[in-house]
Amino acid sequence: MSQRVVSRMVAVLVVIMFSLAAPGFAQTPKKGGIIRVGLLGEPPALDAHWTTAVITEVLTNHLYEGLYSLDENYRPIPMLAESMPTVSRDGLTYTFKLRQGIKFHNGKEMTSEDVVPSLKRWGQRSIRAKALFASLADLRAVDKYTVEMRLKEKSAVVVISLAVPGNFGAIYPKEIAEKFPAENKITEYVGTGPFKLAEWKPDQYIRMVRFDDYKPRVEKASGYGGAKVAYVDEIRWMPVPDVATRVAQIETGELDIAEDLNLDAYERLRRNANVRPLVAKPYFWLVAVFNKKEGIGTNQKIRQAWQAAVDIEPIMKAVAGGRTEFYRMDSSLVFAEIAEWHTKLSGLPWNERNKEKAKRLLQEAGYKGQPFRFMATQEYKWMYDFALLTKQQLEDVGFNIDLQVVDWSTLVQRRNNPKEYDAFTTGIGMSAMYDPTHHDVVSCGWPGWNCDEEVQSIQAELAKETDPKKRYALWEKQTRLFYEKVPVIRYGDLFGLRAIRTSVKDFNPKTERIRLFNAWLDK
Amino acid sequence: MTRYLCHRLLALIPVMAVVVTVVFLLIHLIPGDPVSVMLGPDATANQIQATRRALGLDRPLHEQLLKFYARVLRGDLGQSYFLDRPVTTALRERAEPTLVLTLAALLVAVAIGVPSGILAGASRGSPWDRTLMTGALLGVCIPGFWLSLNFIYLFAVRLGWLPAAGYASVFVDPVAALRHMVLPAVSLGFNQSALIARIARSCMLEVLQQDYIRTARAKGLSQRVVVYVHAFRNALVPVTTVIGITMAILIGGAVVTEIVFNIPGLGRLIISAILRRDYPVVQGVVLVTAASYVLINLAVDCVYAFIDPRIRYD
Repeated sequence: MSQRVVSRMVAVLVVIMFSLAAPGFAQTPKKGGIIRVGLLGEPPALDAHWTTAVITEVLTNHLYEGLYSLDENYRPIPMLAESMPTVSRDGLTYTFKLRQGIKFHNGKEMTSEDVVPSLKRWGQRSIRAKALFASLADLRAVDKYTVEMRLKEKSAVVVISLAVPGNFGAIYPKEIAEKFPAENKITEYVGTGPFKLAEWKPDQYIRMVRFDDYKPRVEKASGYGGAKVAYVDEIRWMPVPDVATRVAQIETGELDIAEDLNLDAYERLRRNANVRPLVAKPYFWLVAVFNKKEGIGTNQKIRQAWQAAVDIEPIMKAVAGGRTEFYRMDSSLVFAEIAEWHTKLSGLPWNERNKEKAKRLLQEAGYKGQPFRFMATQEYKWMYDFALLTKQQLEDVGFNIDLQVVDWSTLVQRRNNPKEYDAFTTGIGMSAMYDPTHHDVVSCGWPGWNCDEEVQSIQAELAKETDPKKRYALWEKQTRLFYEKVPVIRYGDLFGLRAIRTSVKDFNPKTERIRLFNAWLDK
Repeated sequence: MTRYLCHRLLALIPVMAVVVTVVFLLIHLIPGDPVSVMLGPDATANQIQATRRALGLDRPLHEQLLKFYARVLRGDLGQSYFLDRPVTTALRERAEPTLVLTLAALLVAVAIGVPSGILAGASRGSPWDRTLMTGALLGVCIPGFWLSLNFIYLFAVRLGWLPAAGYASVFVDPVAALRHMVLPAVSLGFNQSALIARIARSCMLEVLQQDYIRTARAKGLSQRVVVYVHAFRNALVPVTTVIGITMAILIGGAVVTEIVFNIPGLGRLIISAILRRDYPVVQGVVLVTAASYVLINLAVDCVYAFIDPRIRYD
């Protein structure tokens, strides 16, 4: 062997050794340890069918699974179903083959006998099941591992409805699904997920421990689905209501992950070598939702005037604490992360900053300075901040905004009563966007009541049309109509801040909500 | 004394009835709805209506109130809408952290407040007096949350001596319990010590001007004996009242400290219950707090008789 070859081999060896020592090199996951997660509060229930609360979504997705889940592009992939369903020629019958040998936390095998009552309960309760169950004719178990769904008419939303992670079609054991009617939340928590509930001490912690009989899928992990491996012995979800305390506890190592932090903590956390601040992307779009049933908000020209008046970028910048990494300017009605439904339409009257047009529209609307009741809350600082800045901008063009600041509980109650407000603030998260038929802002049943005939007819077409290209064209049409009818003022996309200790490895920062399967601790 | 105690205990019943009724009406009349919070932001009006029916919240208010009275008489405070357990269980679980925090903070408050007040009163106008009363003024002025957050930053984040927040039961791990309790007890106790110090000082000044103190001094007793043997005990009666009131305040009112230090006590329970409109829990906590006020005041009245044998209740 020549000296040249030897020196080359040594060089290659040195490079390999340095690569192995480099911090970015993939380490082998280790089992064990407890991940402590600091959350804003307590879940109202651990029943996935029962509530749309975000915190319930996060927690229940570690305990239960549905037939389908979402991949990294937020498209459906199989979870408890073995594969994608087979669909009959007429598009009215869906057949789902279930994975075999899947155990519930109580040791019982999951079969079609469990799937049918679970999905029926979900259909009665969940807002995400509404569109699908409207066209459902029958749901039955064909054999132990096969479920058949028959529809009255063709539907485009069968699989996506079964795959959404919020208010989702979790499969419970038959006994539990039948014991708790849809109007009562379940209080026996048995699922097929990689973690099982060990203890729930309200205001202290929710302990989930690894489910040793869990059988991960063979596909690699992707988004919310694929192979889920529980490496840690335990996840301890701890409600820590004070945000400053959550920041302190992630710094001291009392927490491994802290959720919903104030954006102004970003710099402080960046300076800590043991902590990684993460931009939680996306978080919410900011919206002002008009009451289209009663009052001034029913006047389309007034709504258009509001849309024309607002200068969105300074509002977003202020809400994001002046940091550009925490907001995004976008007019699409679906976050850019869901490429399938994200639109790039030009010429939309979004962020026009046209005061003259706003004044003209107000005049045409016959607006005489009547108080416009705009309901906001201080419980979520970003909601209050953008409402306040909006008020200032609108009053510059002649609006008389009566900003009514109430607590969140009051706001969510009052927004159901058309006599109580003209507009309210909220945030729209990704859970409403996996399919256009799930979108709140074009829903007739959601507060604000977008019951416009033209809008609802497009929604009905979207629910039935199964050709992806035609569906996308319909969604573009719906988006243009949205900016013409202005049921809601769409501001920008706001991002959140979460932080993790550097000892937490293989945490997937790309999903909207946290998932701790496949994460492990290097302590 | 026994008759007095029975009389006071019987007086508890109308007090409780008034408190319970007022709280029931207040919490039900303010806007907000537990069901909307429970079902999440995307719930439809129909779902909300169905759940209101299931919880009995669609019934007229007087009907709900009568049902509530009937339950209370049976010792049943109802079921929490959010916690999946009876209110009495929730109260039992939260009593320990609150009592531990109250006693620890009271200990700190008394340990700082009483000696400071006595010393300041006994050396009126001296640099000691001015320094101690400036400290008491700071204790009154500094907001509890600010002090707590600064304690966390200094002792937990910067120095790493103590945990930033959380709670460990004294019955499970006494060492961890002590480590977790130091910062909340000191920050809460320091705030409360200010009032005790100021009251102790003014009582001491008043007692030191009494004739019998002049007589004691005329007999040639030392300042130490005059202050600690003759004046101190007589100055204690009003201080005991303040300590009793402080304890009652702490049982129902250590809300900020419990939230900042993430202690799962009654204060935190009532705040989350109010925000979520968990009516049965709000009513339960208020009931317990009101009963504590009355019982602590009764205990303080009894303590008077031991401190000052001239006080008789017969």
